[in-house]
This record gives sequence, C-alpha cells and structure tokens, in this order.
Amino acid sequence: MFKIDSSRADLAAAYKKNPLDTYPSPALQKVLQRLRWGNARGRTIVVCTVPEREWRLGKMGTRRGMPVEIDGQAYNRYEDALWACFRARWREVSGEDCPVA
Amino acid sequence: MSKLPKRLLGYTDKVSVAPGDKIDFKISSPLTGKYDVRIVRLICGDDSDGGPGLKVDSVKTPIDGSYPARWQPIHHGSYAAIDNGAAFAATAITLDAMIWPTLPEDGRDQALLGNFDAATQSGYALYIDGSGHLSFRVGAAASVRLSTPLLSRHWHHVAVSFDTASGKVIMHQHRLLDYPRVQRSDTIDATIPGAKTAGSSRFLIAAWSDKENAAAHYNGKIDSPRVIGAALDAAGLAALRPHQAGKAPVIADWDFSREMAGIEIRDISGKGHDGRLVNLPARAMKGWNWDATEMNWRHKPEHYGAIHFHDDDLYDCGWETDFTLTVPAGLKSGIYCAELHQKGPDGEIDDMIPFYVRPPRGTATAPVALLIPTASYLAYSNHQMASSWSFDELSSGKFVTLSAGDRYLEENHSFGLSTYDSHNDGSGVCYSSRLRPVLNMRPRAELWQFNADTHITDWLEARGIAYDVITDDDMEAEGLDLLKNYRCVVTGTHPEYYTTKMMQTVRDFTNEGGRLIYLGANGFYWRVAYHEALPGVLEHRRAEDGMRGWISEDGEYYMNFSGELGGLWRRNGQPPQGLVGTGFAAQGFDISSWYDRTPDSFNPRAAFIFEGVGKDEKIGDFGLIGGGAAGWEIDRADELLGTPPHTLIVAVASEFPSSYHWVKEEFNHTHSAIDGENCPMVRCDMTFFETPKGGAVFSTSSISWAGSLFHNNYENNVSRITENVIRRFIDPTPL
Ligand SMILES: [Fe+2]
Repeated sequence: MFKIDSSRADLAAAYKKNPLDTYPSPALQKVLQRLRWGNARGRTIVVCTVPEREWRLGKMGTRRGMPVEIDGQAYNRYEDALWACFRARWREVSGEDCPVA
Repeated sequence: MSKLPKRLLGYTDKVSVAPGDKIDFKISSPLTGKYDVRIVRLICGDDSDGGPGLKVDSVKTPIDGSYPARWQPIHHGSYAAIDNGAAFAATAITLDAMIWPTLPEDGRDQALLGNFDAATQSGYALYIDGSGHLSFRVGAAASVRLSTPLLSRHWHHVAVSFDTASGKVIMHQHRLLDYPRVQRSDTIDATIPGAKTAGSSRFLIAAWSDKENAAAHYNGKIDSPRVIGAALDAAGLAALRPHQAGKAPVIADWDFSREMAGIEIRDISGKGHDGRLVNLPARAMKGWNWDATEMNWRHKPEHYGAIHFHDDDLYDCGWETDFTLTVPAGLKSGIYCAELHQKGPDGEIDDMIPFYVRPPRGTATAPVALLIPTASYLAYSNHQMASSWSFDELSSGKFVTLSAGDRYLEENHSFGLSTYDSHNDGSGVCYSSRLRPVLNMRPRAELWQFNADTHITDWLEARGIAYDVITDDDMEAEGLDLLKNYRCVVTGTHPEYYTTKMMQTVRDFTNEGGRLIYLGANGFYWRVAYHEALPGVLEHRRAEDGMRGWISEDGEYYMNFSGELGGLWRRNGQPPQGLVGTGFAAQGFDISSWYDRTPDSFNPRAAFIFEGVGKDEKIGDFGLIGGGAAGWEIDRADELLGTPPHTLIVAVASEFPSSYHWVKEEFNHTHSAIDGENCPMVRCDMTFFETPKGGAVFSTSSISWAGSLFHNNYENNVSRITENVIRRFIDPTPL
C-alpha cells in the first residue's frame, strides 16, 4: 500500500499552488487518494459558512445529530480552505505534519 | 458564523396542482409572532456568482398575508402499534420473537415488544439495553437482563415470561448460528415482585410508548412476534421455536408476510390484534427462515416474515395545515413557490416551498411540456452523502464541503433520509417521502436536480418559448393521456428514477409520433415504484448493479410496494439506450467538457439541429456547471444496448480528466483503464433518431448541458442547438 512520505514537500507544494487542479500529477493523485479514502465521520472537512464568501475547517461528529465542530479560522478563498484541509488530513492519515506550512 | 440559525420549514400535501385544486401548506417556525407569505412563479433559482440570479414573478393570490408562527414537531423512527391493548395486561404473559438486531450496542434502550409507557413507568417491555443485552422491565422496578450480549446482524430467538402472582420472570435467548467460543444460548430466572402488567393502552413493536408518542426505537429486524397469555417455563420458552406455540393460549401472533405492500400488520391468532406500521419500516425483508431457495418474496412470502425497523425512518410528519391555496383559474402553468419571511432577533429567516402548476386537466396551453422529474427529486430529498458514503470524496474528487443546508441536516437528525443514504444502522434507505421538510430540492440550493432544472425554465422564458409544466407524479397517474397533449416533451437535467408506468408512457409517446428532448444524463436508469395508496412516497431497491449509494442485500431485490424487481432498468430489460439513444457511461464532478461535431451531423436529417452552427465549432466549451456543456454525468450510445440502428450520433465529447469514472455496470472485470484519460467508453454522445408516426428523440446526454444555456446572454451554440430542436419538434411536419 502506498504510504504518504513526509519528505515529499514537492507534492504538498504542488497541491497548495492549485488545489482545484483537474490534472494533478500521478504522485500527487496517490497522496490525494490516500487522504480521501474512507468516510468523513470524525475527520476534518470544509464547511461553507457564508455562501461563496467564507469557508472554515470543520470536524464531522462521530454520528448524525451531533454539531459539526467549526474552526475559528475563516478563509475567504475556497482554495485556502482546501489547502488547510489537505494539511489537516496529511496529519490525520500519516501521523506526521505536512512538510509545507 | 459558527452556530447555525434555526430554520423556517414547510411542505405541501400535494406536489402538482391544476387551476381549481387546493394545496395545503404545513409550516413550522422556530419563532413566535407572524410570518409573511406570498406566491411567486419561479423563473430561475440559481443565485450563485456568475449565474442568472434568483428570478421570480410575484403572483397575487388570496393567501397573501401574515400567519401566526408555531413550531410543529417531527417524530421519526418506525414501529408497529396495536391500539386495542387491554388483553395484553393479562396476569401471566409470555413474549416471543425472532430478532436480527443491527445496532445492539447503541448506548440507549431499544424496545422490542410490550405495553410499557415511559411517561407513567407502567406496563412491561422486552428490550435491548444500551450495551446490547436482552432485558425485561415491568413498571418502575429494576429490569432483568441476560449476561450474554446479542450479536449484531444475527438471528436470535428471544422470549420472556412473567407471572404477576409470583413475580417470576424467565428470559431466554438462542442464536441460530453456532460458533465455538461465542456463547449461543442464555436463560435467566428472576423475580420482580409486586409488578403489574397494565400499562399503555397500546401495545408497540420496535418502540415503547411515551404517552401518545413512541420512544426507545429499535434498529433491526423482527420476525413473527407473539404474545401468549400464560407464563411459560424455561423449557416452554425454548420450545417456542421453530414456531411451536403448542397449547399455549395465544393472545396475538403477527405474521408480517401478509399484505406486504400495506402498512397493516395482521394478527393470525384470531384475537383481532391487527396493528399498523408508523413511518414505513422496510418490508419484504428476509426472515429468520430464509434459505436462499427463493429470491422473490412473492413466490415464498413465508420466508419474508421480517420487518426492518429504523430509528431514523420518517414517512409523514403529519403537521397541521397553516394555509391553503386554491389555485386561481387561469394561473399560468409553471414552477411556483410559497415564499415565507419572518423577522427574528438574529435577522430574517425564510423559505421557498416549491410546487408545480399544470394546465387545466386534459388541456395543454403550449406545444411544449417541461416534464419535471419529481420522482428523481424525491429520491434525492435531504440526501446526506457526506456521512452515508465511504467513497464520497473519491467519487467527487473533492474534500467534503458542507453547505449550510448539508450541515443543518447533519446536526438536526430528524428530517429523514434519501435513497442515497444509509440508516444509522448502516442499512440502505429504500423509501423517500415528500411529506416532510425537504431542504435541498429548493431554489438557491445546490445546482443539482431541482435548482439545476431552473436553468431550463430560465432559458425557455428568455427565449420566449411557451411551455407547460407537468410532473412525474402526473405521468404516473395519467400515462399517455397526459403527454399526448404535447408535440414536444422536454426532460430535466437528470431524470434518473422511473417507474414501469412512466417508462411505458414515454415509450408510447415517442412511438405515437411524440417528440422527446432528453436534456440530461443518467436518465431512465433506476426502476422505482410509487405506492398505490400512500401518497408522496417512492420505493427503491439498489439491486444487483449500478452506481449505488448502498447495496441491497441478496434476496431483497424485489420492491414491496409493487412486487417488481428493483434495480437498473438496464437489468430489467429496458436499457435507456432503447428509449432515448444513450445511457449512463461515466461521471466526474470537477470540470465539464465540450462536444465536437461528427460526420453524422452533416447528414441532411440532422441539418435542422446545427443551423447557424459552424462545422468546426466547439459546442459548449463554456457554462456554469464545470465550465462546459458535457459533464458531471454523461451518456453514450450503444447498439448492443438498444440504440436504434438509424440513430445519428451528431456530436461527441471525449476529452475528460481522470476524475471521470466509467460506470461499474459496464465492465465485467475491474482493471486499470476505467477513467476519462484512459477509457474510450468515457464519452458523451449527442444523438438524434426518428420514431414511428413522425416522432423523434434528441438527446444531449449530459447533466451540465442546461448550465451552458445562459452563457453570453443566451446567445451561444448550446442555446442555438436547443432552440433549433425545439422549434423543429413543435412543427407538426413529420420528421
Ligand atoms: Fe443521480
């Protein structure tokens, strides 16, 4: 099974540059597939808090009916929220910090 | 803002109305005071950046005005209720059932059988405690429990006897499947002195009473529950199965395999303790004795004696009516909304509750009908894919991004689910109702189904093309009589869910000279059923194959509403290619593509389609949905699947990224070349063919097509092609 390699700052940097890229490199695609595998319960997600204007990170509850935990940091670009989500997932999946801040 | 404001909520009793009809609105407000109501005709619901904007025309009706706000509750969770419960308060009693619990360790009590009333702490219940142990309680006394936990998704025989005279309780469980090292049976002997069996006047199955409401909802199946008016001993309890009541005086013996389509449950003891099901638990479910000798419940109903109850089932909220509109004579056909506003301490709250106004019955007021896919709207109502699916992000190619509506449904778990979702216990949702507030099939919501279809009404209005609005529900009721009034019928962007009658009606229409424009993709895909007697609810079994939110269990592919095999139309003898030329090929949700003309497009038969379109023009390399007219979900032609041999494939879109995935029902083996970059089946075919008696079908085969109509103030080749086809299709000259 492919493992996320925290020395590959180049892949994180490529995502940061264009989170909405339709044609990510095969190496970045593998990272994204690992970060996205599985149900979102209990994990970091993006929440749109003002339509088309503001996004924040959130954490889904472990079951329905629980509040989504909303992070204090607001982003005015969807791409910035996606990048923050990428970094959080990197940590959640690999156990190590994303090599790009 | 990190906390969600409470919402104004509502629904209607009907979905489609004609002038003179009455439609009831049922509203719940989190505030006191009054809210304002007006009726609007909806032109466009897309208020997103760069879109056409929210466009409504106000309509004066007698219901304009202010109404007192009130909160109305939602009681979700399914159960069975038997009202005439006096006999269940016998001095000695035995309860007996086969159960298949699905969430035995749910951290809360789950009632199986009894007349217990939590409000008065009276009566008795056989139930599962929060840690998955079979338990029995009488009145306010401490309960008795077995120390062996129940196993999830395993059949168990459970039984308990209680004698008020001695206070003696004997409780027994036995698992059908034997595993070494996992204890199979358990029995306990205990006493609950001085307790009485009198409780609620109702006997409930899969919940207990809390005054007139139900609580402690159970997740799982129950098969052939019984009540006996004697306290059996341990040997007597164990001997009750398989199904031997012997000489015991039976008070009730429910056979859930009777009248499978209905919501009545029948007592076969002769004591008349019939009951009714509340909130549509799943019927025609495999029972404890199902042995795979029959997959169709109609052939062996005795193997389908189980009902699957869920704590999140919801059919009809049963709210009171707040105002009633009598549709004024002469009101123009269209999509309408009741628009509600109320001022509150944290600003204004509002809602737009859609309904459809058709022309007077038996008439058409335009040559074109927009056939609103209300069955597909129902299937998607209140979907919660982000929490139901383990593959949501890999399918969409995005990190989950919740809108305010998504988050409201996630945090307020009482609005019922869609056919895309899984219940709390992980089983698939096979019924969806509109008799509840639906948050996503609304103006200003996601551009999917309802709101995406308003790109079509927006364009029809902008181009001055007169149209009537009719719905799937009307077609299900009236068949060809409804469609035959029109020269041209236009579909929505994603008419995915079709009943047998709807499928036959569209086929009859095109075979009788009608002209059909399939302005979408992944249409005519799933076979579903409406209920003969219950309004506003759809059944769907995700059988065998297809792009599925969940997968039906083997042996549970046949719908209980209709008795028909569920699943794909492609697996039911009617691939969509035979009806409209194309069928589902692939999906992807980041960018959309464009079409190129093919040599077929220069065939004189297709000349009318491309009038004013250059021979090398890219068609639809622009648009609101992914930036192109070919995308999100796309269809392809295939003669082997029934595309008529004289079909012209007039344009093809074939440039798709790897985020587009070939649909799974098309390949026999998984392999490494199934995405947009490496799989030639990932393509979108625009088709045209003639049908008997001068009719024709034109298919764009893409969900994103309608999102390109608005581009450049409606002056673009997607708009032109659509208009060319409509103008020709309303011309009575045979094609
Ligand atoms: Fe769909």
